[in-house]
Amino acid sequence: MGLPLVLLFIVPVLAVMLFMLQDATTLTGWLALFDHPQFGKALALSLFTGSVAGLAAFAASVFIACTLFQSGKLRGVALPLGAMLALPHLAFAVGFSFLIMPSGLIARLIALPLGWATPPQITTLHDPYGLALALALAAKETCFLLFVLLQALSREDKRLALTAQAKAAQALGHGNLSISTRIILPQLWPEIIWPLIIVFVYATSVVDMAAVLGPNQPPTLAGLVWSDINSARVENNLRGGAGALFLALACAGVMLVFWIMLKLSRQWRWNFFTCGPSTLSAPLWLAQLKWRGLSGMFIISGLLLVVMSLAQLWTFPALVPQGLGTMAWQQIVERPDALLTSLVLGVASAFVSLVILVAWFEAMPAKYDRVMLGLSLIFLGLPALSTGLGEYRLALHLGLTATWQGLFMAHLIPATAYMFIILAAPYRSFDVKWRAAANGLMANRWRFLTAVKWPLLKAPLVASSAIGFGVAFGQYVPAQLLAAGRFDTLTIEAVTLSSGGNRTLLAAFAFLLMLPPLLAFWLATWAGRQKWSAP
Amino acid sequence: MSLVLEDLSISLHDDKFIAPFSMEIKGGEIVTLMGPSGSGKSTILQAIAGGLAAPFALSGRIYVKGVDVSQIDIAKRRIGRLFQDDLLFPHLTVGENLLFGMARGPREQRLALMRAALSDIELAGTEHRAPHTLSGGQRQRVALMRSLLAGPDAMLLDEPFSKLDEALRASMRELTFMNLAKRNTPTLLVTHDKADAPKGGHIFKIENGEVIYVR
Repeated sequence: MGLPLVLLFIVPVLAVMLFMLQDATTLTGWLALFDHPQFGKALALSLFTGSVAGLAAFAASVFIACTLFQSGKLRGVALPLGAMLALPHLAFAVGFSFLIMPSGLIARLIALPLGWATPPQITTLHDPYGLALALALAAKETCFLLFVLLQALSREDKRLALTAQAKAAQALGHGNLSISTRIILPQLWPEIIWPLIIVFVYATSVVDMAAVLGPNQPPTLAGLVWSDINSARVENNLRGGAGALFLALACAGVMLVFWIMLKLSRQWRWNFFTCGPSTLSAPLWLAQLKWRGLSGMFIISGLLLVVMSLAQLWTFPALVPQGLGTMAWQQIVERPDALLTSLVLGVASAFVSLVILVAWFEAMPAKYDRVMLGLSLIFLGLPALSTGLGEYRLALHLGLTATWQGLFMAHLIPATAYMFIILAAPYRSFDVKWRAAANGLMANRWRFLTAVKWPLLKAPLVASSAIGFGVAFGQYVPAQLLAAGRFDTLTIEAVTLSSGGNRTLLAAFAFLLMLPPLLAFWLATWAGRQKWSAP
Repeated sequence: MSLVLEDLSISLHDDKFIAPFSMEIKGGEIVTLMGPSGSGKSTILQAIAGGLAAPFALSGRIYVKGVDVSQIDIAKRRIGRLFQDDLLFPHLTVGENLLFGMARGPREQRLALMRAALSDIELAGTEHRAPHTLSGGQRQRVALMRSLLAGPDAMLLDEPFSKLDEALRASMRELTFMNLAKRNTPTLLVTHDKADAPKGGHIFKIENGEVIYVR
């Protein structure tokens, strides 16, 4: 029963990695890449936006999680955080762009008291330093890291141990900032390091968000590579292939530097941990303000998508549109292909992933999970550009480009990787006493699974399915490459529209991109709710 | 040094939980507060330490070395605590745990203090060991020393001997009381076992929300 997962995930992932390396041997691509006049600046931009976004998301999530945890108010963020996490990056980027663009909501709010009649002449979108991109990435990735921290801090054993240790540290004269950095964070470090790597790599190599918010002249290295990969000229394709590999190597290089710095800072860390108490405390309201600011940014971005999709006329500096209409929505209703394709791919990927993962957990001993976990983390820890290109080359080799099968594979792999990471711990830690109890009642395996185990594991099963759906639904790079112009998905449409002038249609597509994952999340929350209390 | 509790009372959801009481603990003195489980012993300690949270509410005054600390942040009250569990930080070594609470100062001086403290509790040479490699009794001794090295102006003991076996319990009691007396630290000990109370010391008990003087 573990075979489906081997065939649909393990083998394709290994093949993707092999095909990813195909360009490593062609010197032409590498030489062309290093000769590219924008290469150096594009690389610097990628590393800058990735590092700033990663560090800001890390600092913000640790500050919010640890401060709220010490005040006993962390549980309150769980529900809104899940919804924010379910929001696809691209949809958030579009909503965020409507917020910060020169004629966006923030400028309109300032325009009223200052008496501006026209949008300010400042570059807030596609700024040359990638600040808008870094800020949006930081906000979105803060949600992801906060979610990881919340999961860790909600585990009963961890929660009780850290609460008691925090109390002991307080009695030794340490304030909450000291406790966050000296007690809580070091013990959560092993759990947050991989997500942090994934965040950094994602932020450094993101393509769809960069298309909406990122710099143009030069673009980030991911943007440069992406246009090469999609070019009609073979030599550009070769340069793009080398660029995708180089981006992966650059990310690995930055992580190596980070690791060396960590090793070299041993003495400094020892001093930091043992230098004695610091009563410096962060007020609870500051953490709450940060959290509310973050969630508010998501809510406003989402609302802006709705309003913008209906706005026929919305001149500056009016706060509300002067004319509303449903033209964009009519266009979508008339041509629902992209929406339907995305929905089918999302649902099919989540469903098939769930089935093959459950089959794996039931059939395979837990010791083999390490292989799955390793592959999942490596796959997610590699730039989507590189893995997407690997998937494309694999599909070319198998004759699966521009086919449903190829497109499905490209959506199934990341969904399975995420779902495995989420589902493995709760599924494997299922209490064996229930099995013994069912055996004692003469229940066969199928009856035990359907009447006892799966109902008890309903919450993680539906939650991971919702996340798998959201991941597949929001795929852009592999979708664009594997679709090869024959299929349209919402992400492909939205990125294409982001470079055009039809903001109403872009908002409608971005809203559609946001809605199904949100509905899936609410459905999972509703379906997974516990109707019984633990014995 | 002294710890003075003046008209201290605790309410729960606006109902009286602990009736007003006063108490003065002089430097080096150990006062015992007894009562059955759920009577509010640990809640009183929590209130004195400064960590009382809703739905509990505190009124009254707490003086440490003559200073009213009732409204001061928990980390600045300089009130040490020893718990039932040793609560040694698992990511730090034994030595690092001791240094964690020690006041800032020259590095060599602090290291010497830490090593001397380990010798005092017969654990010399264990500074680089992880806490989980020590026995329960050894860990509790390290926890005691960690609290004392922080130099608290008052100490709260929350049933720190309750998880030790009989033989260890007696020696740990002796070690704790001796060290607290040596440092002249006013101490409030909470326990449900009369044997834990120091001989000749004052004892209070909690009965139906009233703190009553026993001896």
